[in-house]
Amino acid sequence: MGFTDRFQKTTEPRHRLGAMEADHYIYSAGIAGEKFFTALRDRGIILASHCKACAITYVPSRLFCERCFAELTDSDDREVGPEGEVATFTLVRQDSAGNALPEPEILAVIRFGHETTGFLHKLGEVSPEKVETGMKVEAVLKPQEEREARITDIAYFRPVKK
Amino acid sequence: MSNRDVAVIGVGYTTFQALTPDVNWKEMMFEAASEAYEDAGLDPRKDVDSFITCAEDFWEGFSIFDEFTPDQLGAVLRPMHTVSGDGLQGLASAYMLIRSGLCDIVAVEAHSKISELLTFEGVVKLSFDPVYEAPLFETAHPYAAAGLEMRSYLEASGTTEEQCAAVAAQHKRNAFSNPIAGFAARIETDDVLDSGYLFDPLKKLEIAPRADGSIVIVLASGDVARRYAKPVYLEGIGWSSDSPWIASRGSDAPYAARAAEQAYRKASIANPQKEIDFAEVDDQFAFKTLQHLEALGLARPGEAGHLAEEGALGRNGHLPVNVSGGSLGCGHLMEASGLAKALEVTLQLRGEAGKRQLSNARVGVAQSWRGVPHGTGAVAVFSRRD
Repeated sequence: MGFTDRFQKTTEPRHRLGAMEADHYIYSAGIAGEKFFTALRDRGIILASHCKACAITYVPSRLFCERCFAELTDSDDREVGPEGEVATFTLVRQDSAGNALPEPEILAVIRFGHETTGFLHKLGEVSPEKVETGMKVEAVLKPQEEREARITDIAYFRPVKK
Repeated sequence: MSNRDVAVIGVGYTTFQALTPDVNWKEMMFEAASEAYEDAGLDPRKDVDSFITCAEDFWEGFSIFDEFTPDQLGAVLRPMHTVSGDGLQGLASAYMLIRSGLCDIVAVEAHSKISELLTFEGVVKLSFDPVYEAPLFETAHPYAAAGLEMRSYLEASGTTEEQCAAVAAQHKRNAFSNPIAGFAARIETDDVLDSGYLFDPLKKLEIAPRADGSIVIVLASGDVARRYAKPVYLEGIGWSSDSPWIASRGSDAPYAARAAEQAYRKASIANPQKEIDFAEVDDQFAFKTLQHLEALGLARPGEAGHLAEEGALGRNGHLPVNVSGGSLGCGHLMEASGLAKALEVTLQLRGEAGKRQLSNARVGVAQSWRGVPHGTGAVAVFSRRD
């Protein structure tokens, strides 16, 4: 058989169903991540790292500056939030299987002041049509006893009540 | 001193289709490779000095995929390596092999057999940061990240949703003139606007559908290329990677701007708007076309949307863009998407683009982006030098 003998019926081609055995990994949080998540769980705060040379604050905290390559240490720690501003957002209407979600989920990038990086999270306690960029929002944390030192210890961000 | 210019001397390609159950990925690569070697008039077992594939294990469903690439390219027991990146990054490796004098003839292959990956979204999700980002995407489709970026771009540049929709409609119509494109459609801006939000402001018809296909491009040094009737010169190439943190990036595709600076410097292009006749840019999402054109300096910030609306980016406009149909009209070919752009630029410069042939095609640019949620892109400048 050659290219001149291509299949003529879709039921003819044979295949074998396989699986990529790669579903068990440990992703360590690292030095900066440990500090960030511990602070979030125990003190309920959002920890960031400030690079003096670049005048930029990284949220969440990091061990190094991606602009000047400096190592960032404890003395560079900054607490940001809990209030911030919506830099961008999207209304997610489809899940990963391609199914329509009954209610759109709202993903957003939050910014805590001009010279900080954005912070990816969800919005809640707001109807999708009310969301706009520039909107003031605040972090809503899970109750202390439910926190696990994960990014989802922040349940979501909600609009700041005036 | 031998001539270390770099030129395309052969191209081979399959059609780009949603499903390809009749061939396996190796046969698909063999088909494209056979055509490319025929086009260049050479025997891969004797004449090609080195081979490069562009592939990513998880797209392929293999561990260490690069071990599975030599046989179908004629590369068994020959120098061969895989670039875990887009096809234009593979071209960059070939460019270096030739410029350095290590090789005279190099074959670059990239392909997609993505229809055989049954958990595409799951693999895309695995490319988000596992600690900080992935937990927020447990429910959401990973393309929601493009919705976030689209809104930033629209607000920063003043581009409108109508302008993005016009791009999607144009590319899908362009694909009618490209016999290998899999997703041509006779649609208008309103059809795109009415196709429904999936990740507001991103709409259904603004998202490139996935396709299977393979492309092989054979490059040679200037000395070898002179023997060919229609060499197309790779005048410059560049690539760049932005921060992997989604929330730390800007809205103006700086990876494309840096890659273009590098490519233009090598190609001695001082004024891209004047010196570049047409472009094939990444358009996995319609707005990316406009964002990329601005990053490449082919339009001023905020100007590309107006050009799209006025029809300036069409085949008869002053800056024809993605006349091939782009990824929106041809299908998104994963790591082969950049090579598909380079293929179209080559065909145009050879005067072999059939119904979609541009009349004044002398210098063209191809640009790639690795897709959500990545920040890597490459740019290649080609010319026909006559």
